[in-house]
Amino acid sequence: MNYLERRVIHGVLLLAGVSVLCFAFGVMAPGDFFDEMKLNPQISPATVAALRSQYGIDQPLPLRYGRWVESVLRGEWGYSFAYNCPVRSLLMVRAGNTLLLTTLATLLAWLIALPLGVWTANRRGRWDDRLGLAGTTLLLSVPELVIALVLLYLAVRTHALPAGGMVSVGFGGLGKQAQLIDLASHLVIPAATLVLASLPLLVRHIRASVLEVLQAPFVQAARAHGIGGARLLFRYVLPAAANPLSSLLGLSIGGLLSGSLLVEVITGWPGMGPLLLEASLARDVHVVIGAVMASTFFMIAGSMVADVLLVVLDPRVRLGST
Amino acid sequence: MHRWRSVATLVLVCSGACFAALGPQPVLRGEDLQTTDNQIGRYGGTLIVAQRSEPKTLNPVIAADAPSREVIGRLTADLIHINRASQQTEPALAKSWGISKDGRIFTIKLRHGLRFSDGQPFNADDVVFSFQVYLDEKVHSSQRDLLVVGGKPIEVQKIDQYMVRFTLSQPYAAAERIFDSLAMMPRHLLEKPYKEGQFAQVWALTTSPAEMAGMGPFRMKEYVPGQKIVLERNPYYWKADQSKNRLPYLDELAFLFVGNEDAQVIRFQAGETDIISRLSADNYALLSKDAASRGTAFFDLGPSLEYDFLVFNLNDLKKDTDNIAAKQAWFREVKFRQAVSSAIDRDSIVKLVYAGHGAALWGNVSPSNKQWVDQVLPHPPRSLERARELLKSAGFAWRADGALLDRQGKVVEFSIITSTSNAQRTKMATLIQDDLSKLGMNVHVVPLEFRAVLDRVFQTYDYEASIMALGGGDADPNPEMNVWLSSGGTHLWHLGESTPATHWEAQIDQLMQKQMVQLKYKERKHLYDQVQETVAANVPFIFLATPDVLVGATRTLGNFKPAILDPNTLWNVEQLYFLPGNGTPAGGKP
Repeated sequence: MNYLERRVIHGVLLLAGVSVLCFAFGVMAPGDFFDEMKLNPQISPATVAALRSQYGIDQPLPLRYGRWVESVLRGEWGYSFAYNCPVRSLLMVRAGNTLLLTTLATLLAWLIALPLGVWTANRRGRWDDRLGLAGTTLLLSVPELVIALVLLYLAVRTHALPAGGMVSVGFGGLGKQAQLIDLASHLVIPAATLVLASLPLLVRHIRASVLEVLQAPFVQAARAHGIGGARLLFRYVLPAAANPLSSLLGLSIGGLLSGSLLVEVITGWPGMGPLLLEASLARDVHVVIGAVMASTFFMIAGSMVADVLLVVLDPRVRLGST
Repeated sequence: MHRWRSVATLVLVCSGACFAALGPQPVLRGEDLQTTDNQIGRYGGTLIVAQRSEPKTLNPVIAADAPSREVIGRLTADLIHINRASQQTEPALAKSWGISKDGRIFTIKLRHGLRFSDGQPFNADDVVFSFQVYLDEKVHSSQRDLLVVGGKPIEVQKIDQYMVRFTLSQPYAAAERIFDSLAMMPRHLLEKPYKEGQFAQVWALTTSPAEMAGMGPFRMKEYVPGQKIVLERNPYYWKADQSKNRLPYLDELAFLFVGNEDAQVIRFQAGETDIISRLSADNYALLSKDAASRGTAFFDLGPSLEYDFLVFNLNDLKKDTDNIAAKQAWFREVKFRQAVSSAIDRDSIVKLVYAGHGAALWGNVSPSNKQWVDQVLPHPPRSLERARELLKSAGFAWRADGALLDRQGKVVEFSIITSTSNAQRTKMATLIQDDLSKLGMNVHVVPLEFRAVLDRVFQTYDYEASIMALGGGDADPNPEMNVWLSSGGTHLWHLGESTPATHWEAQIDQLMQKQMVQLKYKERKHLYDQVQETVAANVPFIFLATPDVLVGATRTLGNFKPAILDPNTLWNVEQLYFLPGNGTPAGGKP
């Protein structure tokens, strides 16, 4: 069995373990989906009991878990009590919206962080490095919640950008180009928030990795041979510094589905965040489990991508088979 | 070949025309439209409103959440409707109705010549079908309980194509209010899935608009998951203004899903929505400041029908709750509850929690409910002296350091649970904590997640006191039967009583049962006044306050007449229109 096969099996086992824990915690949480109906004096306890029975909430935990597994095998990923439909159809659309936002934000963050990290490492101790460090320290200390609120405040004050959502109401009636501009304008605030929130960590990691390589003998030798400037940094130093960065990229991939939940809620982006929040509060257990499982899947996949990249990028890493 | 292509083109054009947005259709001969008395408006425009969460279904029978019901209410219509402004019933799809002398038989005459939003005719068969579905136990409709009077379901019988008879097993006061918000459904679309046992699956959010039809002012146009629902004008709607212009005036009504009140405020300030409902006092103050410059207007409609209350746990306890059982001796003592009520400064609650936009309460009926509020119900001012006297006469005493002790010398100490999702109630609990500390009571405020509160109050009884709210649905007393009847499912202070636990609960049971079958308003009011007085004297709920209904809208909206009953702002959506002038959307005179 080779390394990749072992990792896939580990990943499947991990998903199974997460599903059991998630199900147990979800069911053990006080209250259930139909509790809110009890506050309505016009709905009798018998009706609430009948609904609980219809959706199997009154069944023992192992039986409910078994039914959920069956549903996963059918490709439904459980059944939403609130929407009265399979969870998969709910998650797919929202996951698509989340991935659109996070993929763009991750790409942008890396595109900005890479040259910035390399540049500040090369300028170590000088005024621009210090400025960069101060900027990343400031961003690191500001929660993404605050960044989003500041950007929203500016949007409301200036009317320069939409204050939430993904597209305008009249989106369907716009031409292709106008639709693209409308979507892009709605993306600015959530994407900028995610970029600004993730930038300091990326810049600092890249800077530290590059700094370490800059002190290596082969860099001194290259400089002695007259290789310098951008060619040295990006052609020789950056590939050598990529080893720890591949783990960081794995983390970025892992967080694609779960890293923007709070920002989505604040900026009204119709992704996994608002759905998961509402489902958690309403005890729509299968939706919560589905969302957690999907996020876990991305975490596992991100970790695998990082490991594979490590093997590809670093020839010193050799994998044996069992 | 050429001929076939022409036929195919014709079919495509015709089907396209069927699903494309239609303008209001001309009134047909024999079509019995209802004439409204609103200011005559202009056709055109899209009204954009925000909802706190997205609807979960458009199926009127299984929908239980408020956002779903709000959208469904615009897609469908009822036979008899409660006018949200007057709070009185008025004819809707029913042109008129008659009641037998014994109050058991309702005969409803339907308007002639009406059509569903797909152009199909509406008649008695649709009414009978709709009630058949609502009453079917297998469908688990949350409205079914409304239609069970005296333990028996209402009988529905078609007399002719435009007349239906409803027979109740016993007289039921204000029975016509039952019909409000019960959507009439198209038999031609829904009978098949109903017979196949698939009714719960119909009219999901993803259902094609072509498969849906209603009698409401709008019909479904588009649903974008997580983002919005767009409704378009029902071209066959059955109301017209005095100039015979068929309503609604608006082309479209869009619901944006905006997760919380603060985000709704931001979207409203940015001009992305036209109406904002149920504002908190803080946001109302914030938005009102620059309303004129932003072209918006805000309205304080007065106290809502909701009532906030403090309730002590008087339930028969389950196992492992000995600590609560020991404290129930205090809670069951009526003088203890009266003392707590007397020590609470309700005016401060209104001032500090609702920033003055609310009303103090001493009973369950809001001062806005003019028809049912007991005008002679005492409103004793806050009095710590009276509270101390009551406690002293109940055997309580004070330690040298001021702590209140019960007869066994135990310090009086209890907790109040509140929902973390409702900041106002947590504030109320803190104020009450302070008020009661002046009596020497040691009160702890415990904010819990909403479902955890419900679980403790309804399921485990693992709480000592809680702050909650009820009411807000209808002005009539009957929807609250289950709160006041000792056997009721919402008899919160003591759930699951097989027989009344106290003589005053037995008295309330009798009074509520009597008022339910009393058909004369005056006699009924007298009975309900007695209920309010008995509740106020025995304080099972310590009523605190009711918030005002605060709403806002753009100034370009005509016929905007918000009401305290739900839906506060969209109840007359068919009459709303955009005024000419700046920011007026495209659209001409009808």
